[in-house]
Amino acid sequence: MLSTNSAPDPAGRAALRMLMQRLPDVSVIDGGYLEPFTSSEPPTLRAAPVVEGSGMRAIRVPDYSRQTASSFGAFLDGAQRVQVVGHRRGIPIVYATVSAAIRVRINKRFVTWGHRPPLVARRFFLPFRYLPELAREVATGEESLSIADTSRADINGQFPSAHPSVLQERAMRAVDELREQLEYTLAEAWCSRAESPLFIDGGTSGNPRVASSSCAIGVVKSHRTLHVDDDSLSIVLGLTLGERSPVFRVAPRSRSAVMSWYLRVRDATGHDPLWGLVRVEVAESTTPTGRANEISRWVMKEMSPLSLPDGRWDKMSYGIRDCEEFLRAIS
Amino acid sequence: MSEALGRVVATERKPNTPHEFHFWTAIDSPVGIGTIVRVDGAQPIDGQIPHIYGIVVEGFSYTDLQSPMHDVLGHDGLPTTAGYAPSERAEIRLYTAAVLRQIPEEPLQPVPMGQVFLADEADVQVALRMDSYLREGANTGIPVGVYRAGGTDAVIYLDADFLLGPEAAHLNITGVSGLATKTSAVEWLLSSLFTHFPEEKGSIAAVAFNVKGPDLCYLDQPGKVEESDDVLYEKLRVEPKPFDHVEYFAPYTAKGLTLNTFRNNEELLDKVTPLTWGLREVLQFAEVLLNKDDVDAKADALIDFIKENVIDKEFSDPVLTKKHRVQSFSDLDAWFRDVLQGMEKRDGESWRTHHVATIRKVRNRLSNISTRCAGLVTDSGEVSDLPFGSFSDRTVYVVDVANLEEDAQDLIFARIVSKLREHLERRDLGVKHLVVFVDELNKYAPGDGADTYVRKMLLDIAERGRYLGLVLFSAQQFRSQVHRRVVGNSGTALFGRMDADELSTPGYAVLSPATRTKLATLEKGQLMIRHPHFTQPIFVRFPRPSVMQGREGAERYPQASEISMDAAVLRTLRQLDPTITLSWVQETTALYNDEEIVRARNATLLARPDNVKAYFTAQFRKIVPAQTPARPMAASIKSAPENDPYGF
Repeated sequence: MLSTNSAPDPAGRAALRMLMQRLPDVSVIDGGYLEPFTSSEPPTLRAAPVVEGSGMRAIRVPDYSRQTASSFGAFLDGAQRVQVVGHRRGIPIVYATVSAAIRVRINKRFVTWGHRPPLVARRFFLPFRYLPELAREVATGEESLSIADTSRADINGQFPSAHPSVLQERAMRAVDELREQLEYTLAEAWCSRAESPLFIDGGTSGNPRVASSSCAIGVVKSHRTLHVDDDSLSIVLGLTLGERSPVFRVAPRSRSAVMSWYLRVRDATGHDPLWGLVRVEVAESTTPTGRANEISRWVMKEMSPLSLPDGRWDKMSYGIRDCEEFLRAIS
Repeated sequence: MSEALGRVVATERKPNTPHEFHFWTAIDSPVGIGTIVRVDGAQPIDGQIPHIYGIVVEGFSYTDLQSPMHDVLGHDGLPTTAGYAPSERAEIRLYTAAVLRQIPEEPLQPVPMGQVFLADEADVQVALRMDSYLREGANTGIPVGVYRAGGTDAVIYLDADFLLGPEAAHLNITGVSGLATKTSAVEWLLSSLFTHFPEEKGSIAAVAFNVKGPDLCYLDQPGKVEESDDVLYEKLRVEPKPFDHVEYFAPYTAKGLTLNTFRNNEELLDKVTPLTWGLREVLQFAEVLLNKDDVDAKADALIDFIKENVIDKEFSDPVLTKKHRVQSFSDLDAWFRDVLQGMEKRDGESWRTHHVATIRKVRNRLSNISTRCAGLVTDSGEVSDLPFGSFSDRTVYVVDVANLEEDAQDLIFARIVSKLREHLERRDLGVKHLVVFVDELNKYAPGDGADTYVRKMLLDIAERGRYLGLVLFSAQQFRSQVHRRVVGNSGTALFGRMDADELSTPGYAVLSPATRTKLATLEKGQLMIRHPHFTQPIFVRFPRPSVMQGREGAERYPQASEISMDAAVLRTLRQLDPTITLSWVQETTALYNDEEIVRARNATLLARPDNVKAYFTAQFRKIVPAQTPARPMAASIKSAPENDPYGF
């Protein structure tokens, strides 16, 4: 996922002008950027049941060599560009451009998937609860602007407070959800055609169809939650290049269950323990070992060429970098 | 309409201008340096969608790689493993094009964003402004080659008005030696010119000076033409055949027996005319052969005196022992001898204000000319020359000076060009337009060095020739070393493969590095063209000339070696009368010396009489056969008269 903060594009500026016609007392601000959303939950260890063997251990991925071929035929990623473009009496006006695309590999080069064009959405993320006149217009269908309400009650029936930081966090969460939604839309479309395996940047468990599709393979780069217990942590962090953990089952709340494992794709000597460590998510399978070995070989293969100068190059495949560059160009 | 192959791009760092724009293409697009493209603007200007035509002058290729080190790291320092990577890096082909033409031409604006198309044949005509001179009824186009790119084959035309005048004129060719570029290009261009030069513009001929090798010696002989060349000939609408009308001129060797040309093989001699000049012809151009140290004001005055008062006139003077009529170098030498002896007798130091030392110096220098230019300059004064006044349309006159000394080359060049100029001024050369081809311009019109007569003549042609119909086609290896006014006045310039050193000279700084690189690697048969109508140089292919190449000709028709006097005479006279035999020649010439025989042969060749044998024989002085004097009759003893009374 690509997150950038920059000045609104021409479409954003036009939307802002329209919004200001409806909310004349909006103060436009320059440089009100939002950092990429970080979950409020603290980093945690959450053990997951191992389904390959009896316990956590390092497994050398077999039969990997330079000649190994990768079967990934396409790469999926999403991007978001978020900015606080103004405020109205302390209420932040958040504008975001969210996009997702599948890039297909043909003769070693990437082109945009022809069956489903890239998805790009541009909209304001505003708390209607604190902007009632705008909420009325939207409710009556008179509002032509694309606006998402960020002040709905949560599952506990709690409305967000008017604290600007809370509202910004709500907006960022909504942007994240929208991006995820776009990504899964494309992933579903890909899987429905049962084409070659799709490399997805991030997890697959958020969408049941994708999570259960054998052609969707998620590669997670961030490790805010590590799916090991205290005792096994050192095993995962001690994986060396070309080693993986046993397959375990991840079944988060309100998400689909998937098989997962950790894989060291770069030698972490001299780096922090999470350097070059990815977690792979695939649909549940009756042959987890074979599946994990095969996909691990593909993932390791995708580490070349390097994704530099991206700062996450230790975990990022070049296909995902290409997606991000593409999305940066079109959104 | 063809598909777009690129898109115009511009950034703040690399903006487009009215004369240059940038575009990117797919990696496998057929665009390269020299490709002509068309940009279709998106926004109309004054109700008209702008079309911009450009030629690619620079190309860039790069990937998203930030540092080469990243690639090294990515492949563990092993280049062989790079091939196993599942993906290639994102890569761009970015081109810079120089604007050839914008339509509409006003207002002249920076090139807008838009789609880029490969120019088709019609686009090429518009882009190069050829549409202005290829109009029906006013077509002055001379095909010079075919522009090729991405499946487009477009004939490139030069404007005859800008190639042969009067608008602009002259053509200069630059290229390294040995790649058959310069000579081949001229041979091809003359073929095209003779085929396509508009009839209404009058007659045209060419005089080519063959200054080295046998390259121009077989223009009337068919050469090998490849299939690919046939295609070009058809496209360019020129028949692949040798020149129909070619005449060769060459002086004799120093011995005077054979012609001093690569084309002196007996089978080819019928089209070779000896080039011989006498005193009168040479003295007009004495300053070509005499440098400034030789000819000071005093010597110049004496030469003028001789030209005015001595040559071809009855000249008598008290100091001379007899009347002189000087018509040849030998006559002149006799005159000098008589003058100097007369002065000695009178013990005089000067004669008619000319000091004896000056007279001796001029005698020495002038007498020396016939030695230095032996074979060309005759002692006897016989003249065999180009057909000034009766030049024929679409004919090439080749003057072979390749084997001559530098002095003789200069003399030939100076005199022939001067004569051509005189006749063109009087409009009585026989043709209206004349192309003069001179190779090795580095030597004849160098940018530095002495201001020679030949260089002055070349400058004169370059600067004023077009008004007369005298057009210079010149060639050299190093354009930078040729006098700037000569190349500068050449409206059209052709460039074959160039030497890297030459390309590094300031004159080529106007070309982009990529264009210079292309110039340094051009194949045979490729040229870069600059022409007044073209705002940027254009690359074309031209067909191999359909005439025998020098090397092949030299192998097929080996040069004749020096032969005996009898054989030389036989060879010459047989062209006029095939019944002549060696025994007849030997019998006829047995009593005469070489000088007389050569003179008789030359006179016969010049006159081309119906009865060759009789004419040749008549050239010799009469030798009366020795006769034994008749014995005087012995006086008879007188008998006594019958009526003599004293008789017994």
